[in-house]
Amino acid sequence: MSLLEVRGVTKRFEGLLAVDGVDLDVGEGDILGVIGPNGAGKTTLFNCLSGLEAPTAGAIRFRGAVLSGRPDRFTRAGVARTFQNIRLFPHMTVFENVLVGRHCRTHVGLASAIGRGPKFRREEHESEDRAAELLGFVSLDQAGDVVARNLSYGDQRRLEIARALASEPGLLLLDEPRAGMNAQETRATADLVRRIRDRGVAVAVIEHDMRFIFGLCDRVAVLVQGRKLVEGLPAEVQGDARVIEAYLGAPAG
Amino acid sequence: MRQFLQQLVNGTVLGATYGLIALGYTMVYGIIQLINFAHGEVFMVGAFGGLTVYRYWLPDSLASNVWVALPAVLIGAIAVAVGVAVVMERLAYRPLRNAPRLAPLITAIGVSIFLQEAVRLFYPGGKRQQAFPQMISSGTFDVGGVTVPWVSVFVVVVAVALMVGLQVFVKTTKTGKAMRATSQDPESAKLIGIDVDRVIVVTFVLGAALAAVAGVMQGMRFAQIDFRIGFLAGLKAFTAAVLGGIGNIKGAVLGGFLLGIVEALATQYVPHGSSWKDVWAFVVLIGVLVVRPGGLLGERVATRA
Amino acid sequence: MNTRKPPALAVAGTAALVAGSLSPWATFAGYPGKMSLGGFPGGARLFCLLLATGAVLFVLDLGGRRRAALAVGIGAAAVVAVNFAGLMDHGGGIGSVAWGAWLSLAGAGLLTAAAWRLPAGTPAPKEWPVLPVAVEVAAVAAAVLALLGAVVWGLRINESSRFVSFLVFVAFVSVAVHHLGVFEALGVLFARRQRIALVLGGAAAVAFPFTQQGNAYWIRVFASIGVFAVAAIGLNVVVGLAGLLDLGYVAFFGVGAYVGALLSNAALTTVHFHVPFLFVVLLGGCVAAVFGLVIGTPTLRLRGDYLAIVTLGFGEIFRITANNWDGLTRGPNGISGIPDLAAAGFDFGESHALFGVTLPGFANYYFVELVLIAGAILVFTRLNDSRIGRAWVAIREDEVAAAASGIDTIRLKLMAFAIGAFLAGCAGTVNAHVTTQVSPDSYTFLESILLVAAVVLGGMGTVPGALLGSTMLFVLPEKLRSFQDKRLLLFGAALILVMRFRPEGLVPSKRRRRELRERAPEGVPGLPGASGAPPGSPVAG
Repeated sequence: MSLLEVRGVTKRFEGLLAVDGVDLDVGEGDILGVIGPNGAGKTTLFNCLSGLEAPTAGAIRFRGAVLSGRPDRFTRAGVARTFQNIRLFPHMTVFENVLVGRHCRTHVGLASAIGRGPKFRREEHESEDRAAELLGFVSLDQAGDVVARNLSYGDQRRLEIARALASEPGLLLLDEPRAGMNAQETRATADLVRRIRDRGVAVAVIEHDMRFIFGLCDRVAVLVQGRKLVEGLPAEVQGDARVIEAYLGAPAG
Repeated sequence: MRQFLQQLVNGTVLGATYGLIALGYTMVYGIIQLINFAHGEVFMVGAFGGLTVYRYWLPDSLASNVWVALPAVLIGAIAVAVGVAVVMERLAYRPLRNAPRLAPLITAIGVSIFLQEAVRLFYPGGKRQQAFPQMISSGTFDVGGVTVPWVSVFVVVVAVALMVGLQVFVKTTKTGKAMRATSQDPESAKLIGIDVDRVIVVTFVLGAALAAVAGVMQGMRFAQIDFRIGFLAGLKAFTAAVLGGIGNIKGAVLGGFLLGIVEALATQYVPHGSSWKDVWAFVVLIGVLVVRPGGLLGERVATRA
Repeated sequence: MNTRKPPALAVAGTAALVAGSLSPWATFAGYPGKMSLGGFPGGARLFCLLLATGAVLFVLDLGGRRRAALAVGIGAAAVVAVNFAGLMDHGGGIGSVAWGAWLSLAGAGLLTAAAWRLPAGTPAPKEWPVLPVAVEVAAVAAAVLALLGAVVWGLRINESSRFVSFLVFVAFVSVAVHHLGVFEALGVLFARRQRIALVLGGAAAVAFPFTQQGNAYWIRVFASIGVFAVAAIGLNVVVGLAGLLDLGYVAFFGVGAYVGALLSNAALTTVHFHVPFLFVVLLGGCVAAVFGLVIGTPTLRLRGDYLAIVTLGFGEIFRITANNWDGLTRGPNGISGIPDLAAAGFDFGESHALFGVTLPGFANYYFVELVLIAGAILVFTRLNDSRIGRAWVAIREDEVAAAASGIDTIRLKLMAFAIGAFLAGCAGTVNAHVTTQVSPDSYTFLESILLVAAVVLGGMGTVPGALLGSTMLFVLPEKLRSFQDKRLLLFGAALILVMRFRPEGLVPSKRRRRELRERAPEGVPGLPGASGAPPGSPVAG
């Protein structure tokens, strides 16, 4: 059984069909690439998968349960994401950013937070340990006290990934994780994605960089004008005439 | 039935004032996403500007001539309101354009209190009600049993004319088009060479001028003004703007008239309606924001996250 | 720390300032501070004399000393200037100013010039060494004592001109001390020795009524401030922590006050049912919190500025309802004759003698309020430093990202709203007894604005800020009677100026300062906050 099942997801904005009946499956341990020309609806699809936008039609199932409602419910269920235009908490420190990611895995309530009982301290320590471990994982362990907005671009991307991982997701959605990176940083990002997969987290990644996608992903889905054109192994997709046409020849591309 | 029609007429007149003020809220919000809390005070200051011209500058021989006095009072009102609005935009709001949203809103509240108090303390006799010249005859006429004062006809006609004029301005002139472009996307507007700062000033100027006219109308209708008239009128006009869909010019007009009529009818038909008179606007405001935050003609404003 | 030879200009300036401050400033008798006497530093002259000690800055090579010395010089000049105005006003023209004042002014001018010529030098240090515990505790104690001393001293001054001189003096000393990095150091110190600082601060607050020698006036004012401060801390949870602007907050305070009044056995209450006060306080808080939840549930989806207006609307609805619901609230007359609290034979309205000092009845309420304030501080600081507080910050910074990080934003905003309302409700019940009456016109929009102003001026997101803001808003109008009519005008102006020049308030929270101070670079793609789109706007991903 697949981890994420997307069936007929459709998103219509006034007069515009941004996502049109997309089916998608992500299995445990998968790295799925989502590519497509600009305006193909990739980000809108991710918004639907993370609860930021409610699909007009269709169903999203994660670990067999239907997902709907506000974004925090998606995250709690185990779908975490990053944003194309990095959305950190810019004035919090790096460490605090990751701690915020722990929010939905911790449970201390008002009374306990005010009373500071042993449960509070235990949970807080656990969160801090986790956050420290994750910062090590994305090689930001030296930067814990830095204010997030002062990080370099690449570091901000990695911090966003650490924050997403802090919510212990089963599936991580990465929206253009290598945008604005040079070749070396891109390789490091690909390596990071593989290491995330090795932690048992499936990954779906939107990217324009074909070499990055085809070198990294187990399977690739191509979105064109809101519809899924092709899905398959990288080699299959790469050679598919329709894909080449969508990128080079299609009038609406 | 006659009573109902009478309240309908009263509500329409009330709504004309709300609509004119609401236009200022809606235009400013459309362009810089600021609830210009002090806009009600611009309306109030406008009324005082008109009063000043009438009282201190017009010679008695001219004051009795409607064709001289009314334009003079309107010009005075507009000049003062526009002046205040431009200074306010330049000194208080512009420096905060990139600040978090709370900052300009708190500033706007400060401006509002400051203007109220300035009029109260420094306008001659400002602590008390001031008589406002009526200028137009205080007579009335009857239509099917409904009594309509001539002033009301004047108010509605002028308000509708200004609303249409604004619509034409925004749709056809170069500046109007620049305003619409800026409200859609300020960054792109800047890139295609629109002077966004200027557009914002023009927006404040237009809103202030309309509010000033509304201020004079209010004064003529009630024959008196004081430093407090801006607060409630401003809130109600804001409600009208929200009701119609903030950022939407037609919406502000529609919302103004609707709110005026709702208020007039509720005052008449709800038990003890008059002591709850000022509650209806808030009830409408909350109701709209909860049920249809985008208003009747607007887009959604609730955050989706 | 090197010592230097002082410049001649500074020596001359100091000498002139000291000499001038010991000489007469007035050519006529009767000006406050015995200003016509020579050889005696009465009235505002004392402030100049104290400022003259700042001349040591020309000898000691401290970091940031140039700006500090400038503050000293300009401050002395400002003190003289205030009294120039006062003297001419009192006496009659420039002739009423005696040579001592001119000499002081000249001295202040020379000092300023000397300060101007100091090299920019090193800035004040940012990192502060850890000192032995005893030294640190002593420093904290000294700071707390200085604060208490300044408050008591200031309150003792009755004449307007002298009080303004005092304010000018305190302001410029603060600026000078700030440039030397002392406040920064104290901030670090207080954070490190938090517990002892709280205990000492509490002790100073408790000690305050004992400094008044049985005089009830200021204790009464502080009893009003105490109630206001609890509400301000509550509002600071809503505004400062969760970032929600509530313009109808005083309604929650009013709900608490009406609960307190109705259950107080007042002669005019409409509910003939008396409950112990401790229970009433909690009940008032809970009822207010329920109101908060009822108001918040439908409205907290809205964007911040809409929320502000809607809360304003709810505040007005509360007031109008209280005005019209005669059966419960007695309408515009309100409920008066609320009796003093009494517990176990102890009447809160009576004065009591303690340690040889007679404490008026208001002191009892003041002590009750201190307990409430302590509770509010506990709630505020502990929530701030927990996953809940972090979630609030996250929501404030980027609501979409917060939701995508798994935060139930509506639930957390509701929580902030309810806690704020609870604290206001508790404060309201006490206030009903302090003022002995409640009526709808005590809960107007302006009162809400005063609370917002207290939080904004003091500093969003900090406890000392809320306390300082509340104190200022009460004490300054009391002291500056001649300005009382202009009070609101000045508040309006203060709100505008603070937002423009010091949006983080007088006691800033570190993070709030980062948020409010930054002017985002324009057109940098990808950085949140850099585009025109404000956080929380519906432009997702």
